[in-house]
Amino acid sequence: MNSKNIQSETEEYTFVAASASLEDEDMIEVLVGKETLLIARTNGNVHAVDGICSHAYAELVDGELEDHCLYCPLHFAAFDIRDGSVLEGPADTPLSVYEVFEQDGSIWVKV
Amino acid sequence: MTNVNATTLIVGSGIAGIHAAETLRAKGYGGRIVLADRDSSLPYDRPPLSKEFMLGEVSEDEIALKTEEYLQELGIELWLGEEVVSVDSKKQSAVLSNGKTLEWDKLLLATGSGLRKLPVKGSELNGIYYLKTLADANAIKEKLKNIEQVAVVGAGFIGAELASTFKKLGKEVTIIEWSPLPLAHILGDEMGEYFLKLHQSEGIRTIMGDSVTEFKGDGEVEEIVTGQGKSIPCQAVIIGVGVMPNTQILNEELDIERGYIVNEFGETSLPNIYAAGDCSMWPFLGKHISIEHWDHAMNHGQNVATNILEENSTPYEAVPYFWSDQYEKRLQYFGNSKNWNRTLIRGDKDEGEFSYFYLDENNVIEAALLVNQPRNAISVRRLIKQQKPVDLNLLSDSNVKLKKCVADA
Ligand SMILES: Cc1cc2nc3c(=O)[nH]c(=O)nc-3n(C[C@H](O)[C@H](O)[C@H](O)COP(=O)(O)OP(=O)(O)OC[C@H]3O[C@@H](n4cnc5c(N)ncnc54)[C@H](O)[C@@H]3O)c2cc1C
Repeated sequence: MNSKNIQSETEEYTFVAASASLEDEDMIEVLVGKETLLIARTNGNVHAVDGICSHAYAELVDGELEDHCLYCPLHFAAFDIRDGSVLEGPADTPLSVYEVFEQDGSIWVKV
Repeated sequence: MTNVNATTLIVGSGIAGIHAAETLRAKGYGGRIVLADRDSSLPYDRPPLSKEFMLGEVSEDEIALKTEEYLQELGIELWLGEEVVSVDSKKQSAVLSNGKTLEWDKLLLATGSGLRKLPVKGSELNGIYYLKTLADANAIKEKLKNIEQVAVVGAGFIGAELASTFKKLGKEVTIIEWSPLPLAHILGDEMGEYFLKLHQSEGIRTIMGDSVTEFKGDGEVEEIVTGQGKSIPCQAVIIGVGVMPNTQILNEELDIERGYIVNEFGETSLPNIYAAGDCSMWPFLGKHISIEHWDHAMNHGQNVATNILEENSTPYEAVPYFWSDQYEKRLQYFGNSKNWNRTLIRGDKDEGEFSYFYLDENNVIEAALLVNQPRNAISVRRLIKQQKPVDLNLLSDSNVKLKKCVADA
């Protein structure tokens, strides 16, 4: 995925996707610098969290999103996509959450 | 808080035991919880022992299951290096290796499984290992530092993972397997062929349909001799020829087949005595099965703890599941199938990612193997849980969503 940077006054956001490419319930994985992120839309809102499960190595984009609940495809840990918190084990560490905003048909995150 | 005067003794602080202890507390059990294990290491996770830990990618700290402080906070008494040597089911007491006696109200056997031994000539030589514990893994790691040639006996999941790991570490690896194809007894001949070729394409020497008759060497192992007269030079041997549930405790009194027989609540044939994880056999779709894998051990431990606390309220209904990492492939297997009627592939084996289904005579999916297709995991698990006939044409077409593959009633 292409990414270009915009420099706002103090903070740096990275373009990650066109709004139109992320429908409701969709998830995509993007690489920003060295971080693998998961970008997802649910109930209209866009969220960005770690793309790799905090428990064991698995790409969360292969999991499932149900409402705000994100399931890992390896051991089925569940996270709240809105704040990264653990809803069900075996994970016990929350996912990091990244600031994300949508403007003029583009989705941007800050890492 | 409930049951403040009660004591639950959990034997084994593996995956099942630890999750059971945690669940008891999470659900409000106020009594005493004693978690005893004969292993003296703090509870740790086993799957990385053949993978990331053996490769040196993760440390001992990173494979710890829970910290001592965390267990202390939960008021879980961890008795390490203490084996439960006998149990009196009538007096509801247990004797430990240090001579202590503990009275319990509920007993959970989470004793796991032990490794099958290969009793052939020369077994006493140095350099011959089994892998179950952290101490085993550390001994193997240490040995590997100074040697070139490693032989793996048994091409099951652990054997295959170890071959893959040793190869990544730059060793010359030979696998010796008694049956003609690896894993065929679980996955069938077509997948057996697939995994045999996988080993071979990675540069592993594979000796199939042959068995070890002798280890030779002078103090240290130097060579394996097989039934068909082959000779394999090696400076270390790791044996992975299967596991057997640990059922020494109450062996005469409890109903035991492959493991302790339990009902859907995890209760054994005696009241107040439960079993979970590798050491148990439990009812899945009407048949008692034993699953010696991680995900089941965790779920079963949690479920049985719930039933210990809430009077057999919650039948165990998880779809059996395990994963394995070999070379660049991630395998995920759901369900349980021994005598499938047919198999069906979705995707292309040569592409390196596909799903392989095991179906009964009504085209209900009994089990499925996913190779590098984690994105299908949750849908496949759901399909197996539903136990409804599927449309074979749809299922074999990767463009059709899995949830659309259920046949019209
Ligand atoms: C190297 C390796 C790799 C693995 N990789 C995978 C994998 O990739 N995927 C997968 O699904 N599964 C894997 N497994 C299997 C998985 O780890 C087991 O299924 C799981 O550990 C079972 O949990 P358990 O709690 O039932 O038993 P265990 O983890 O075996 O724990 C049982 C505990 O009971 C203790 N104990 C036994 N008897 C007594 C007694 N009398 N008194 C006191 N303590 C006692 C033992 O010391 C042990 O600590 C692997 C296993 C190994 C060894």
